[in-house]
Amino acid sequence: MMGPSGRRRTGIFLLLAPLGGLVLFAFLLPLGMLVWRAVDNTELATALPETTRLLRSWDGAGLPPEPVFAALAAELPKAADNQTLGLLSRRLNFEQLGMRALLLRASRVAQGFRAPYAEAFQALDPRWGEPELWQLLRRNALPVTPLYMLRAVDLTLSAGGGIVAMAGDEAIFRELFLRTIWIALVVTVLCLVIGYPVAWYLSMQSGRRARMLLLLLLLPFWTSVLVRTTAWFILLQREGVANSALRLLGLVEEPLTLIFTRTAVYLAMVHVMLPFMVLPLYGAMRRIDPVLLKAAASLGAPGWTQFRRIYLPLSLPGIAAGSLMVFTISIGFYITPALVGGNRDQMISTFIAFFVNQQVNWGMAAALGLLLLVLVGTMLYLLQRIVGARVLQAGRGAG
Amino acid sequence: MKRILATLAAAFVTVSVAAPIGPASAQPSRELFVVGFGGGFQDAARTTLFQAFQAATGQRVRDDTYNGELARIYAMVRSRDVVWDVVMVEAPELQRGCEDGAFAPIDWSVVRRDKFVPAGATRCGAGAVAWGAALFYDTARNPQAPANMAELWDVARFPGKRSFRFGPKMTLEIALMSDGVPREQVYRVLSTPAGLQRAFDRLEQIRPHIVWWRSGAQPLQFVGSGEVAYAFGFTGRVVQANQQGARYNMLWDTLLYSVDYWAVVNGSPYAQQGMRMIEWMTNLEPLQALARIWPASPAHRAFQEDATLRAASPHSVAANASRGLFIDTEFWVQNGEDLERRFAAWAGR
Repeated sequence: MMGPSGRRRTGIFLLLAPLGGLVLFAFLLPLGMLVWRAVDNTELATALPETTRLLRSWDGAGLPPEPVFAALAAELPKAADNQTLGLLSRRLNFEQLGMRALLLRASRVAQGFRAPYAEAFQALDPRWGEPELWQLLRRNALPVTPLYMLRAVDLTLSAGGGIVAMAGDEAIFRELFLRTIWIALVVTVLCLVIGYPVAWYLSMQSGRRARMLLLLLLLPFWTSVLVRTTAWFILLQREGVANSALRLLGLVEEPLTLIFTRTAVYLAMVHVMLPFMVLPLYGAMRRIDPVLLKAAASLGAPGWTQFRRIYLPLSLPGIAAGSLMVFTISIGFYITPALVGGNRDQMISTFIAFFVNQQVNWGMAAALGLLLLVLVGTMLYLLQRIVGARVLQAGRGAG
Repeated sequence: MKRILATLAAAFVTVSVAAPIGPASAQPSRELFVVGFGGGFQDAARTTLFQAFQAATGQRVRDDTYNGELARIYAMVRSRDVVWDVVMVEAPELQRGCEDGAFAPIDWSVVRRDKFVPAGATRCGAGAVAWGAALFYDTARNPQAPANMAELWDVARFPGKRSFRFGPKMTLEIALMSDGVPREQVYRVLSTPAGLQRAFDRLEQIRPHIVWWRSGAQPLQFVGSGEVAYAFGFTGRVVQANQQGARYNMLWDTLLYSVDYWAVVNGSPYAQQGMRMIEWMTNLEPLQALARIWPASPAHRAFQEDATLRAASPHSVAANASRGLFIDTEFWVQNGEDLERRFAAWAGR
């Protein structure tokens, strides 16, 4: 049944299988887990399964019926014992301050509660008689929550369940996303301004010389970003090379503050990202036929017009590719701002790391990561729509 | 199309079935893995505690460092792939991790409870050593220097950067004390919204002059390179730097201190050996050996009760505890997470 062409097709697919595996395991699967983590809400169900079941079937009016209180009294001490209460209390405390203390206190004494349980809880703390508290618990009996995604854009759930703005002293993410995009944009523009003439010079060289220069360009790739950033730290610090040189030349009296500034972040990031801009530019410029420029010159076009009408449009694919690469990599930078930047120069990745490492709040980290991904995706899509069309036009115009 | 999917599926099944066989079947019995905060303390503990335990019992031990963040431990516990066995943890993190099931309860039938100071025996942790942080500076670079926390805020008289540990713990206490709040009232004030705001406002006053550090080695690097004029650093590391030739003046009156614990990661296949190691490391003889080469303040009763033991290491936290603020574990267990978030947002704004 399977002819020669079928066998060949099988062969192709076998060859492609590693790629498929890579896409599945290194991209789709983590992406799916990211989305899932950003809405996952299983803490209540894990710690208090019976209470959760009863809360799900409760209609949500006023206070829940007695069996819910009874189940809670039975399950709270158990959850404290098998070490599942901690995650639940931290989860609820994240949504509503004070929940942690309330739950832990109840878990310590609930063993001694006798029916009617509703009254026993309210005697311990009047908050157990507030409908808002039970709305909170009922909300979190559901397996998914919008809370993390809301927090990622400085919104939160009110006691009654409505969406409200986050309090001022904790609202930072909108500012942080804008700052992240801004830093990545500045780095991209700087790389383009510095990299364009470099790539042009490289493309003018031939043979051995070009290969040597390319090698020099790629040299920084042999050391890690961490090492290169640390080197910037040593150069820029108060008693570092830069300040010593400036003082030796008599340019400054007092040492300048160079480290822990936005300037230091730009410097170090541009240094790291420059090859990512130069290489695509170089590739595009090599493909530009020099005869075209000569033709333009012979028709009387001055240098600037030659550049504007011919060279620039033809190098546009390189500009687009290089800018996209620099921008997308820059937007996820973490180590460089952390080492040479001040606190107002930190990017969104710093906060993702903060939620992963320090708060162990993976939901929040996933929500921020997801938002960053969506943001970058949208920007790339828009950029491709705009630039892609122009590149196409430029290509047709030149042809 | 169906055939493509079938081929791909077959490939994945092959890969996923074949993968676990290799490493799992070849896994040798490993060493007991101890993880601490590194630095001079861990160097000292390596010879006097870890290797001495190995020599005494034949149990092979390996050690590594981390910076106290629980994320990796949580990840290990959740994925049931626990490769750290015994870890050193700070007090609030210990309690948090204990409630969350990241640490196993201490087997008090293996570890003798009565040898610890009262705070040294908790559900999931056995007291290791007290640690502290205090203000220090390079006397060569700063002949004029603040004499207390209040003067640290005087940036006109004492120019230069100040360095604190990134995070609300210790920083908020320092801010309040610099604002005239007496030591014994710090946590009472900090427990009120107005007191919290006061601490953040106080920090705001010197915000442009602050450089934050995240690992214990950084404040010494910052002060040593002249990047920062005054820093809060772990006392043991400052004492060690002075022994190695630095001329740092440390103000013991600015001390903030707490206790670190030994804990066993929940689900560790070497939990029993871990408990035995903790029992061994918290005995008097190894601790005395440790105290001889490092200004340590073990959480062992004898070091609290025996004045001669304390006097033997004058640069230890224990010998200077009366001049410092004991960091309130319960306060930070209750409020730590929320304040960390608020602090991070404040610092990044």
